[in-house]
Amino acid sequence: MRELNPLLHSQLRLGVMSILMNVEEADFVYLKEKTESTAGNLSVQLDKLSAAGYISVKKGFVGKKTRTTARITDNGRNAFVEYVEALKQYISM
Amino acid sequence: MEERKITEAESIEIITSMISRTKERLVKGCGNILLMWGYLTIAVTALIWVLLVTTSNPAVNWLWFLIWLIGGISTPIMAKRKRMETGAMSYTDRLTSNMWSVVGFTAIASAILCLGFLFIGGKDSWSMMFAFALIFVPMAEIMQGLVIKEKSLIAGGSIGLLIGLFTMCCISAHIALMATWFMPLFIVAFAAMMIVPGHILNSKAKRES
Repeated sequence: MRELNPLLHSQLRLGVMSILMNVEEADFVYLKEKTESTAGNLSVQLDKLSAAGYISVKKGFVGKKTRTTARITDNGRNAFVEYVEALKQYISM
Repeated sequence: MEERKITEAESIEIITSMISRTKERLVKGCGNILLMWGYLTIAVTALIWVLLVTTSNPAVNWLWFLIWLIGGISTPIMAKRKRMETGAMSYTDRLTSNMWSVVGFTAIASAILCLGFLFIGGKDSWSMMFAFALIFVPMAEIMQGLVIKEKSLIAGGSIGLLIGLFTMCCISAHIALMATWFMPLFIVAFAAMMIVPGHILNSKAKRES
C-alpha cells in the first residue's frame, strides 16, 4: 500500500493543488476565495508547495497593487497524480 | 480552511469540490471584446461606405486602418482587465487567446503584403483583406464556439464564413466588390459574427452571475 504524500494530504494544500490542476494559472485572491481560507494560512501553504517544487509562484504588480499568481509545475502534476492513485488504493480497501 | 489531518474520504471530497468550484462559467462582460470589434468595424465600414458613395475618392480606403489601430490597442487592454477580474486563466482561455493572436498576426502580415503589392508592384490587392476578414475571423469564431460550446458563436461565425466564401467566389470570378452592395453585406456579416453573439454572451453571463 503506497503512503499518501503528507505534503498533499492536508486540506488547504490539497485544495490549492486541485484548483491548479484545473486552471493554468490562478491569482492569490481567486485561490483564497475558492478555498475559503485566510490570507495568512494560504500564504504559508503556498510557500510550502512552492518550496517542494509543486507550484511556481510569481509576484508582480498591477498598477500600484501587488498580484501573486500560482501555477502547477510538472513535479506538482506528477505528485498529484500519484496522490490520487494512492488514494484510490485506500478507497478500494 | 485550516491545516488539519484529513481522512481519505475527505480528500476525495476536497478534490471534487475544488473541481466543481473552478468549473468554467461565463464571466460578466465576456462579450465586450466581440462587441468592441463588431461596433468598431461596422462604424468604420459605414463611414467609408458613405464617403465612397458621396466623394468617389479611393483614398478614403485608408480609413480601414482605423479598425486595426483602435482594435489592436483596445483588445490587449480589455483582455488584461478581464483576466484580472476573473483571477484565473483556464486552458480554454489560453487556447482561444492564442487562436485570436494567430488571427491578429495573420491580419498584420496580410496588410503588409497588400501594402507591398501597392507600393512595390503598383497593384491593388486590398479585396484580399475582405476575404481575410470573412474567412479567418469566422473560422476562429466557429472554433471558439465549438471549444466553449456556444451556439451563437458557431451560428454567427457560419453566417460570416458563408459571406466570406461568396466574397472569394466574386474575387475569383473577377466580379467587382462594389461599395453599393458589398459594404452593406460586410456590415451584415460583422453584425452576425460579433454583435449578436457579443450581446448573447453578455446576457448569459449576467444571468449566471
